[in-house]
Amino acid sequence: MADISLLAQAIDRGDMEKAVALTRAAAASGANPKDIIAKGLQAGMASVGEKFSSGEYFLPDMLMAARALKAALEVLKPMLEKTGIPTIGRVVIGTVEGDMHDIGKNVVATFLSGNGFEVFDLGLNVPVQKFVDEVKDKKPDILGMSALLTTTMPVFSKVIKALEQGGLRSSVKVIVGGAPVTQDYANYIGADGYAHDGGRAVPECRKLLGK
Amino acid sequence: MALTPKQQILAAARGQKLDKLPFGARIDVWYNYHSAHGTLPDKYKGWSQVDILRDQGAGVEVRFFAVTREEYRDMEVVETNDPPYITTEYRTPVGTVAKKEVFDTSEGPWIKYEMEKLFKSEKDYPVIKYVMEHTGAVANFEPYYKLREEVGEDGMVMTAAGGLWSPVQRVMREIIGYEQFFYELADRPARVEEMIEAVKDLERRKLRVGIECDLEIFNICANWSDDIQTPVFRKYFIPWFQEVSEFLHARGRLVMAHTDGEMRRLNRMFRETGIDIAEAITPAPQTLVSMKEFREQLGDGATIWGGIPSILFEPMYSDADFDAYIKNMFKEMAPGYRFIVGMGDNVPFDGDINRVGRVVELIDKYGRLPIQV
Repeated sequence: MADISLLAQAIDRGDMEKAVALTRAAAASGANPKDIIAKGLQAGMASVGEKFSSGEYFLPDMLMAARALKAALEVLKPMLEKTGIPTIGRVVIGTVEGDMHDIGKNVVATFLSGNGFEVFDLGLNVPVQKFVDEVKDKKPDILGMSALLTTTMPVFSKVIKALEQGGLRSSVKVIVGGAPVTQDYANYIGADGYAHDGGRAVPECRKLLGK
Repeated sequence: MALTPKQQILAAARGQKLDKLPFGARIDVWYNYHSAHGTLPDKYKGWSQVDILRDQGAGVEVRFFAVTREEYRDMEVVETNDPPYITTEYRTPVGTVAKKEVFDTSEGPWIKYEMEKLFKSEKDYPVIKYVMEHTGAVANFEPYYKLREEVGEDGMVMTAAGGLWSPVQRVMREIIGYEQFFYELADRPARVEEMIEAVKDLERRKLRVGIECDLEIFNICANWSDDIQTPVFRKYFIPWFQEVSEFLHARGRLVMAHTDGEMRRLNRMFRETGIDIAEAITPAPQTLVSMKEFREQLGDGATIWGGIPSILFEPMYSDADFDAYIKNMFKEMAPGYRFIVGMGDNVPFDGDINRVGRVVELIDKYGRLPIQV
């Protein structure tokens, strides 16, 4: 039986070739694909998230880990065709209207998908109505919004109000982030959560879902 | 005779001791937004941002992008305007590359973002190298001089010899794109390094032109933050900063970086760069670093310019909150030398402009140097 903890280490180190080889070996030895994902891939990403938040790792470390995870998941895909990849929650995410910055949002999306969330990334410069439509359509557990500019932060409020008007607010948790955004600001606009960075977004989203 | 605001800022930047904290305030985000939308307060309708800052009693910090501009040879540069997008094609003998940009008016009409980067795939490396090698630098001093004349002794026009970014950042953010840059650096390091060297050579050409302009402070890099990985910063950024700092110091100029991001992990390396001024320093609650930590980590050899996170100007913070923050910041920065009070990095569009004047009053009351704790 392959040692799945080595797979977690390979993800942690962003070693794509090793992650793919270990995933193949684990699958060939008969390990349950869901275990490979939970104990290998997601455990590795969780470690990356912790090290990122503590200051040991940087965004590129996370990018390399995410790339390794994605390649390893490709190996498992045929085995998961019937059941799909197990998820712990659905997230719709995007950068708000008027804002063309997406690095932070991409990082959060990558961390979330690497940690077992199903993520629908709407991209950048997302109109208010698009967020509302996607919440209606995708029925996510969480709506994540990002803004890098103080000029675009107020769009968070507009989306929250539009969700209220559409009768959707109670069906979805709203989490916000971005360089100028603070916990105080998130509280002020009535968001449910705030994350300073991608590493912190994962535990915050888990907390919002009670998982 | 009392020093002018400009003299105060320059003195603090040079490490000279003053008797009161200098203040260089930046409001262009607020100003550009309200000018573009016709929503300046009645009192300030038709005013320039420099005059508004004078009215608030603050020292002026205004931006001018660069005292050089790029000029192309042996290639055709074709710009197609399809609002809000502008596509620029660089047609060279070794191939064509293109970028697509969009102008964003939310902070004023002058910020543009690349929706499509110049670099798309490995085949673009030689073309981009050709573009960089066949781009020259020509003087663009007059608009800078005009703005400097407008500001006069009331503050500083901050500008650069060349690009907004340092060469590595230009490759990382503008040419390849952040995420792809790190994948390329992992997969094809030699090609990325070759591109960085080509951009460095272009920036050296700009420096040789820009040094003929008599500006006192050169901004050599904008928008630092922790998303620049430490090893990458150490290997590619620091040697460049050292080279440029040495060049500028030898000619009696000061060197500045616009360090307005999350600096938790880059702060300690700042000391190795040779840069004199860390500008637009943005502390907690907007980042994870307090002003006290900034002072300790950047060391006594660096001048800190900034300290007021833009979010403090938002209506969610009361005047009492604002005052308490400023007073505490002064204490954290005691004794207060090598510190220029400023924004991290601007007044937001819905910020209270009169808080600029509040800072002036608080400096008068509590900003006498040395600050006693």
